Amino acid sequence: MQKTILHLDLDTFFVSVERLINSELKNKPLLVGGLSDRGVVAACSYETRGYGVHSGMPMKMAKELCPEAVAIKGNAGTYSNYSDMVTEIIKEQVPLFEKSSIDEFYADLTGMDRFFGCYKYASELRQRILKETGLPISFGLSVNKVVSKVATNEAKPNNQLKIDYGLEKPFLAPLSIKKIPMVGDKTYQMLSNLGLRQVRTIQEMPIDVMQRVLGKNGRIIWKRANGIDHTPVVPFCERKSISTERTFDKDTIDVVKLRGILIAMTENLAYQLRRGEKLTACIAVKIRYSDFNTYSKQMRIPYTSADHILIPKILELFKTLYNRRLLVRLVGIRFSHLVSGNYQINLFDDTEEILNLYHAMDHIRKRYGDKSVIRASAMGARTIGRMQNPFDGRPPIVLAHRKQ
Amino acid sequence: MKFIVSSTYLLKQLQVLGGVINNSNTLPILDNFLFDLKQDKLTVSASDLETTMSSVLNVDSDNEGTIAVPAKLLLETLKTFPEQPLTFVVEDNNTVEISSNHGKYALAYADGAEFPKAVELANPSSTSIMGDILATAIDKTIFAAGNDDLRPVMSGVFFQFSPESLTFVATDAHKLVKYQRTDVTASQVAEFIMPKKPLTLLKGILAGSESDVLIEYNDSNAKFSFENTELICRLIDGKYPNYEAVIPKENPNQLSISRTQFLSSVKRVAIFSNKTTHQIRLKIAGAELNISAEDIDYSNKAEERLTCSYQGDDMQIGFNSRFLTEMLNNLNSDDVSLEMSLPNRAGILTPIDGLDEGENVTMLVMPVMLNS
Repeated sequence: MQKTILHLDLDTFFVSVERLINSELKNKPLLVGGLSDRGVVAACSYETRGYGVHSGMPMKMAKELCPEAVAIKGNAGTYSNYSDMVTEIIKEQVPLFEKSSIDEFYADLTGMDRFFGCYKYASELRQRILKETGLPISFGLSVNKVVSKVATNEAKPNNQLKIDYGLEKPFLAPLSIKKIPMVGDKTYQMLSNLGLRQVRTIQEMPIDVMQRVLGKNGRIIWKRANGIDHTPVVPFCERKSISTERTFDKDTIDVVKLRGILIAMTENLAYQLRRGEKLTACIAVKIRYSDFNTYSKQMRIPYTSADHILIPKILELFKTLYNRRLLVRLVGIRFSHLVSGNYQINLFDDTEEILNLYHAMDHIRKRYGDKSVIRASAMGARTIGRMQNPFDGRPPIVLAHRKQ
Repeated sequence: MKFIVSSTYLLKQLQVLGGVINNSNTLPILDNFLFDLKQDKLTVSASDLETTMSSVLNVDSDNEGTIAVPAKLLLETLKTFPEQPLTFVVEDNNTVEISSNHGKYALAYADGAEFPKAVELANPSSTSIMGDILATAIDKTIFAAGNDDLRPVMSGVFFQFSPESLTFVATDAHKLVKYQRTDVTASQVAEFIMPKKPLTLLKGILAGSESDVLIEYNDSNAKFSFENTELICRLIDGKYPNYEAVIPKENPNQLSISRTQFLSSVKRVAIFSNKTTHQIRLKIAGAELNISAEDIDYSNKAEERLTCSYQGDDMQIGFNSRFLTEMLNNLNSDDVSLEMSLPNRAGILTPIDGLDEGENVTMLVMPVMLNS
């Protein structure tokens, strides 16, 4: 059956939110992102783009390119709240939607043509969001997710675009291959070296040639270039892993501090597991040295969510991983192989006191917040982890510049 | 070296011994049976270095000698013969020739001297127990033993002998079974941990056996002798955890219920539980036991209500359903009792009826920490 897929994307989302809060920032060049030496641009207003600024670039460089710009640190919690407002409106209006990131939504409008006219309906939805939240939003409407997403990007800023059925290929043909989702810098380099710049060229190629050049991904890119995509709109996002990491303002070699941070991270993520009634069976530690060499090591363990099992294992992994005596730029941990369930108490290792202690600590955290009670050894770490429950079905907050 | 033996008689013995032999051995000689012939007594042995089992067979011969014969080849051949006498003759060219009514078969053999010698027990203590009782004790406990290589002591069954009773204990730190016999005793106090593999073999051989088993043991090895068979195995080295300390003494909440009813409900509800954690929830209020499970990932959900007799406070407790079904399956009483104190302390499962005089079974199962 012919599908109708709508892709909605909030324009320069973080910037728009900042401007809503402080109207003085309107029409001024604006940068949102980390302000320290290590900070990167998470979002930039259209005014700055003329200077060559783009999200993901170091803040320092952006400021050099565009000295007039106002730089703001930003607050993930506020953005999350505004994102939720938009989600609420969409949820009310469409039968099936997927929130694919903090500022992007897919909605399946299949079958609604008969009653409303999808394009009209989508336009009204966009106007409603604009009116109720004040956030500029763009959309693309077509037969599948990929074409809609490309259409949205073409429509931006603050506009809309409909690709009629059958016109997907002609629509994509004149565009740069960079516009196809999943063609990043590397792939673009590789393909342009082969003389491929326009989507049209890929469309005219046989699929086998693409497969020979790029393997399995080649096939997917070819299909996307031809406007073929069958991925469904998935309303619920199942978390496969939870992780946290921290880049230091200044590289460090202070092992006590590193261990403290790892303990704090483990404690926080273990609490998230318990709160979400999950267990993990695979833990990993990641470490990036000052020379940008990144190492990670993982380990299978029996299903657990208990601090006193996870913390020693994480520290053990860190001990084997940290062996270069170099300054460290980043540490992080990840729990994967998640399943629903609760901690199986051990006859010999767990005492009643420790179980009651966990129970009490989790109770306090539930009432007064994640960081209301923590281990003393973890107190050195200022802020780690996340505010929101990772298991509520919402997608993880991914900063705008980070590709998923 | 030459002997004549009945094919089915030999096969029966070899099949028992064959259980010792591992599928893949680091030492190739361990893929063989050792045949040690002394006149009309043929001792056949099989070993995996940890466990060595041997049987004495009566054969027709007046020779002596030792050879190691490939186990797999010999067993496969013997399986196909109908009952008939077989003649084994050792030839000069390192082959042993078997003659049957149908023809001749030659197998390459290895020198018997290469076969690892079974350990001799130095000044052992001993006790004697009826075969069937030992088989029952193993059967009741072995399923609860663990598989964790990091904690080898828990991968075996703990034998605790005293002049008052014999006690067998197995645990994997999540469940524990204690099987006690006060009608059988040992002359002195002794404790050792038996690995699983020889116990499984003994269980298979001794089930239903009326004959006595002589158990000899010292610090490192144990020897089980019965009829014409001997089994020597290395014990698991280490200190068994203090299991008595973890059995809760005060259990004010007591539930009695029909075992089969409880078991079938748990089994049914467990189908709807998470496929990895097998977690189920028991809610007990008044005389009603509510068993429920949920698999959030697939939106599967089940709930059953049973009537039971219950004394104590209303409570809610989570268990891994696997543990409960294993334990309930292993019991054969009509009714069972489940004693509990708190949702984060062990539940104690005991049979209410169906026990022999002097027999005592206690099963412990640890709950999962439910978010209240």
